[in-house]
Amino acid sequence: MNIVLSINEKISPLQSVIILSIVILISSFFAISKSKTIKRLLIILASVSLIMAFYLNIYSFISMGSFSNFLLSFEYMQMIEVSIIIFSALNLLFFISIYNVDSSHFIKIMILFLFSTICAVFIVLARNSLFIFTSFAIFILTIFQLVTSLNLKMDKSRPYIFGYFLRPTLTVILFFFGFSLFYVATDFKDFNQIMQSEYISNPLIILGLIVFGIAVYIYFFLFPFQSPYMKLIKRSDYSSNAVIWFSYFPVGIFMFSKLDGLFSFFIEKNNLYLSIFFIAITFLCVLASSIGAFKTNSIRRIVSFLFLFFIGIFILNISMLSAGIITRISMSWFNISNIIMVLLSFIPIYSIISSIEKSTGSDSINNIRGFGRSNIYMCISLIVIFLSWFGFAYHINPFIKYFGSVNFLKMGIINMILLLAVAIAFIFLLINIFRIIFQFFRKPLTGAVEKIVFPKFLYIYVTLYALVILAIAVIGVLEILNINIEFINFKITQV
Amino acid sequence: MNFQFIVFFNFLIFLMGVFGIFYSKDIISVFVSFQFIIISAVINFLSFSQFLYQSSLWGEIFVILGITSIYFLMFCIVYHVHIYLKMDSLDREALFREFKLFKITKSDWWGEDNI
Repeated sequence: MNIVLSINEKISPLQSVIILSIVILISSFFAISKSKTIKRLLIILASVSLIMAFYLNIYSFISMGSFSNFLLSFEYMQMIEVSIIIFSALNLLFFISIYNVDSSHFIKIMILFLFSTICAVFIVLARNSLFIFTSFAIFILTIFQLVTSLNLKMDKSRPYIFGYFLRPTLTVILFFFGFSLFYVATDFKDFNQIMQSEYISNPLIILGLIVFGIAVYIYFFLFPFQSPYMKLIKRSDYSSNAVIWFSYFPVGIFMFSKLDGLFSFFIEKNNLYLSIFFIAITFLCVLASSIGAFKTNSIRRIVSFLFLFFIGIFILNISMLSAGIITRISMSWFNISNIIMVLLSFIPIYSIISSIEKSTGSDSINNIRGFGRSNIYMCISLIVIFLSWFGFAYHINPFIKYFGSVNFLKMGIINMILLLAVAIAFIFLLINIFRIIFQFFRKPLTGAVEKIVFPKFLYIYVTLYALVILAIAVIGVLEILNINIEFINFKITQV
Repeated sequence: MNFQFIVFFNFLIFLMGVFGIFYSKDIISVFVSFQFIIISAVINFLSFSQFLYQSSLWGEIFVILGITSIYFLMFCIVYHVHIYLKMDSLDREALFREFKLFKITKSDWWGEDNI
């Protein structure tokens, strides 16, 4: 036992990486196997390893505390981020297994997937700029290979895969250029050193940050550059869409959170022009994605637009920081809570809509007409999940606090416009939620709803998510009403 | 060599890369534009390592590892395009038509995107 503990101490905080690497090693011996039994065994092994990685990640932080050296930094935020990555990886493994278990390349796909998870964990843990950059470049590479191998049978999607991955490649190259500018300004090896030094106001650092900002914007396919993302999502295999939504995007957000300390240094100065710039981008992203989702009948496109909407919410958080409504720490927590909310809602929605598309053969919204009449249980679960987006209303809370402390006449036009942006975003989100819920109770098209059959495990899967969302909602409402249930010390509304 | 000249030359190369990204239609031009930005970054690393940091090893290591990972990524994409081109010559036109990096179409904003 002592040996195990000493090994655990020495490999901290890389336990999750070591466990996943062992599974990759074992799987590589069976890479060309087509036996269903071996595939099932490896799925179980990978699932168990991901659960263990999730547990050890939290356990090592609780038992050994934060860790930092020349290469790595493992603190409270990193622990949460790694947990999120592993949690979404577990769900992705589930989806990949459902849709690709019959593929002759399944084990290879699984190995690639585990590689991408390891790279994602490295991105979060990395502290050194060189380490951040290489793990990010290799992460993009593994995601490209994964998406390509998941679309082997989808010939039509191939040009769109290239089109899509030229953007993250450009992001990697711009990162390289940005790091070179940082090197020019100072020979520091990590962002914290730059923040604490007098070089922070160096114009080259600012130029480097602008390059990083552009790179992150391109990475997220935010408006008006969303074209390759929309085209690929519409045409690709459903499991590859899951990889993009639940692995590619969260990692981008964590990549941004690595830089948010530096960005915040400039954003927090409440520069008027900077605030106007961020609010303009927020308006563009929120409005364009909401209207785009409203004007299409394709479920894939609706979900894609709504995903971009929630990415736009991250820019809204930055705008709020820029206008002085929230602090940097609040912004980081807002981003984390936002990504948890997105994952908890989009994963079950994805599982249901992919199942509906598989049953009916098309992704038209008309397929879910009358769904609420034929499958009441699933419909209620879906409504609970959709209504969880009301949690987005927590963005109003900082405004209430801010306006409570400032004279109404002195709060400034920028803050008013920002509040307007939040209100518009919320209204459009409501419109989109009720548009979908309305479809559930419309008169069904003949023969469409009857085709929809869900596997039994999907009921359990969706129920679990609906229950988690309900529990979070109940705790949140109790906190807002100041009813102390003394269940946990952590307060959701404290953020 | 004049240090100022290196900086201006470097900036020119970077701008050429950025211009190429916005202007290029086919994949080869896009990759050439990428190369310009990479070269610009490499010049940054190496020249400043030489002039400011007394030939610090950090710049060289960053260049080697950075270049390796970027080219590995680009090689994978190019190799995949190569395989794709071999598959169906009819799709070749579609491939070259679709590669403008910042193309904006109405269907990405409004309505349906029909295949």
